[in-house]
Amino acid sequence: MLSLLRIAAIISSIFAFVSLFIQVLKTRNYGRKSLYSIPQGRLRNGLFYAFGKGMLPWEKESTRNHLPSYLAGIVYHLAIFSALLYFFSLILSFKINIHFIFLLRILLFSGFICGLGLLFKRIIIPELRWMSVADDFASNILVDLFLLNSLIESLIEGWRAFFFISSILMFIYIPLGKIRHCFFFFLARIHFGLFYGRRAVLVPWKKRVS
Amino acid sequence: MNEKPEIKNIAAEKDKKTFRLDLDKEKLEKALRLFKLKIKTEDVAYLNACVHCGLCADSCHYFLTDKNRNSIPGYKLGLLRDLFNRENIFLGKIFPRWIGARDLNEDLIENWIDSLFGRCSLCGRCSLNCPMGINIAYLIRLGRGVLSGLGLVPESLQRVVDIALEKGNNMGIDEEEWKETVKWLEEELRKEVNDPAASLPLDRKGAKILYVLNPREPMFFPLSLLAAGKIFYAAKESWTLSTKNFDVTNYGFYTGDDESAAHIAKRLVSEMEKLKIEILVLSECGHGFNSNRWEAPEWLRMRYDFEVKSILEVIASYLRQGRIKLDPAKNQKIYTLHDPCNLVRFGGVIEEQRYILKNSVLNFKEMNPNREKNFCCGGGGGQLSLTPFAERRIKAGKIKAEQIRKTGAQVVVAPCHNCIDQIMELNKHYDLRIEVLTVAEVVASALKLNRNRV
Repeated sequence: MLSLLRIAAIISSIFAFVSLFIQVLKTRNYGRKSLYSIPQGRLRNGLFYAFGKGMLPWEKESTRNHLPSYLAGIVYHLAIFSALLYFFSLILSFKINIHFIFLLRILLFSGFICGLGLLFKRIIIPELRWMSVADDFASNILVDLFLLNSLIESLIEGWRAFFFISSILMFIYIPLGKIRHCFFFFLARIHFGLFYGRRAVLVPWKKRVS
Repeated sequence: MNEKPEIKNIAAEKDKKTFRLDLDKEKLEKALRLFKLKIKTEDVAYLNACVHCGLCADSCHYFLTDKNRNSIPGYKLGLLRDLFNRENIFLGKIFPRWIGARDLNEDLIENWIDSLFGRCSLCGRCSLNCPMGINIAYLIRLGRGVLSGLGLVPESLQRVVDIALEKGNNMGIDEEEWKETVKWLEEELRKEVNDPAASLPLDRKGAKILYVLNPREPMFFPLSLLAAGKIFYAAKESWTLSTKNFDVTNYGFYTGDDESAAHIAKRLVSEMEKLKIEILVLSECGHGFNSNRWEAPEWLRMRYDFEVKSILEVIASYLRQGRIKLDPAKNQKIYTLHDPCNLVRFGGVIEEQRYILKNSVLNFKEMNPNREKNFCCGGGGGQLSLTPFAERRIKAGKIKAEQIRKTGAQVVVAPCHNCIDQIMELNKHYDLRIEVLTVAEVVASALKLNRNRV
């Protein structure tokens, strides 16, 4: 049974990655916007900003004003990536150092709590609840379950089947719902960086007149 | 031209559906075709990246002042995303309610008109605050473009484009009237600089600079043209105005109608070629700068073989080169600076105006936030012409009014005529007791002229 679930988990993870990759590739079918205007700034500066300074909590008013949400989001996403690594370590039968396991458990627990917090925020804040659709809740719950099961699996023997089941559900859903932003985030930030870098609006350092 | 369905005072309806668009199936299909045609790789990436986090809400001056959910940038973006999901996403096709996908119908189009035209000044502040970096303003412009293709641009805004297409400038100033204004201002310039040879040249072939301006300047703010003339005179610049094509504005940018925008932009390109000019210098006009510097080459699908600069960049270079001298003691009041979104956040002209003002006035105080993080005054996105939504515009301007008040400034310098108009209205409405000037006007009043010049 477990070996069947293991195979299903591998197939579903491949399905998720391939589907996302195809979705990203398909965006090229729409055609790029033309770029005839003469650039004023360097594209790489915009990219450095988009993935560097532009991600820092004090750089954006939205993160400064919503610092708990920002931090929860960071911890949540770190935990998700850790859980994914843990998933692949189990699939590949890769033995993890006991010290890392301890750190992993802390991260998974914190990530799960943060995920729940973000879910409650979505339920409690009227504007956010009004903007939300079923997909928003489903995506959050699936990922929370993935984190919770990875945490329990790291603590209790015999939980692996449940972990694989929650992983399979999540992987199948990734390309269908909003979790696909895990790929599109990078694409969007690249376009954001290129747009503002080209126009010399956003740069990784301050340029101020004397 | 497209047949225009009647759009009545939507803002006044206050969410009651008392108007009809009368969109038949054919028109809805056309809208869908236009939507698919306009959407590009970047837009698809952005639409797929939104996670409905709502962090954009507090960055929007509309939402901050009216707390209306329809004003949340994520909601406005969602109006486009819902249609995109319905057409392009698997779950949106088979189970639309699950991901909030929607068919294109009259209800959705009504929401587009109300939100894309009536609740957004295309300022782009939300994009900078979006964790994903979604260029919401440009997507909203894309939606406006679809509405434009259906002839559903609110009439008061469309009229500005129509006048520009028909008369050559958005105020419908005829050639004789324009020439007379230039002649009158030239006499004023001569008196002011005490030099009978001073001029506001028209159609001078081979000049280095073609200076184009907002038609509101000759109509309502002639002193700003006079100020530019005085600066060019002091810098001994080789420059000219054009008799026929002098309009820097391009309201096709606001309606999202790329075809009209290209037609309007082409006039300046033709004028540059005809007069064999090196640099196209744009007067203080935010959207005029973004349109002509960044967007027009894309609309026209051509790389310009001449430079396009803001007058601010030119004045800053005069100062750096020592071609003009300023006496800041001539401007002793407290000055603050408004950053027009299209010039700063979308244009990249950020520090030049600060360099100029620090050399032109004694007391300069920054607003907070400033530069690319500034708040929109509320006058962008064609809002000054969108009369059905005027009440919302004034309300949304409260944030800017409070920013100004906090500086304690007596003079607000705004390098954009739309911003100037809006700030002047805010001045009255919120009793700010300020004076509003262009950067050129401040510089002109601080100029140290060589009176013995021949």
